[in-house]
Amino acid sequence: MWYKIIVIIDWFGEMSERHRLIRDFNRAAKTSFINGRAPTLLETKITTGESDYRHAFSKFLGGGFRIKALSGKPLERDEMIEIGKVVLDNEELVRKLIALGWDTLEVHDSKGFNGLKWALKKHANIGGYLKQSE
Amino acid sequence: MIPILLFQTDTMKVATLQTLNSIWILFWFWLAIIEFAIILFLLIREKKRNTNLAFSDLTKDIVKKSKTTTINMDNLMNSINSSGELYKELSRKCHPDKFVNMPNQKNAEEIFQEISKNKRNFEKLLSLKQRAMNELNLNF
Repeated sequence: MWYKIIVIIDWFGEMSERHRLIRDFNRAAKTSFINGRAPTLLETKITTGESDYRHAFSKFLGGGFRIKALSGKPLERDEMIEIGKVVLDNEELVRKLIALGWDTLEVHDSKGFNGLKWALKKHANIGGYLKQSE
Repeated sequence: MIPILLFQTDTMKVATLQTLNSIWILFWFWLAIIEFAIILFLLIREKKRNTNLAFSDLTKDIVKKSKTTTINMDNLMNSINSSGELYKELSRKCHPDKFVNMPNQKNAEEIFQEISKNKRNFEKLLSLKQRAMNELNLNF
């Protein structure tokens, strides 16, 4: 009984942490766009993700972390790759995304349906992760 | 004569309807069995896939710590927008080839290695820029 209550509390905590991360990202993106540091306004949202990239902590129908250009300068393919690489190079962020149930990183331009996808599990550096958590 | 024939045809109709009915019942029975088998197969496959997923050997307690780590989103945004230019500038100015046979050559090599390692981390690159200004006497 107590175990189930703890699981439910954990679930709510996880959901709030997921939305906090999204909110923080969007706030920082908005601030840097308003200040003129960023030529493109970025926004993140939760998507279904790619089923091939699933891992043990993946959320059902909520495994995609999509970064989308909203307005401003349209993104080139190289710029989309660079955005993806910046996120994937940030090990703490990747681990947090995995722990919170995301499995796919998507970067999309403001126009069209084409974008880029990465599997987060390939960039988690899980060996280092285990050493740190010991 | 005529009523007997009518009766015979009626019984034949009833008989054919009964056989048709039993055939339909059999059909739906086997359809339900096949559907059940398909559902069972899909469930078993999904369960097998879940056990073969990445990180299935990790417990939730291990990853619990990283759920609450704070991420510097402003640094992430700066890294997306400005780390490329800063990296180019730093790697050009702090290249070890510029410090050959000089007393701070080793420092330059160390700093250059750090710059290459953190090429997409704006905060780290800024601190390396400061270090380069102090240790290599560079002006940016």
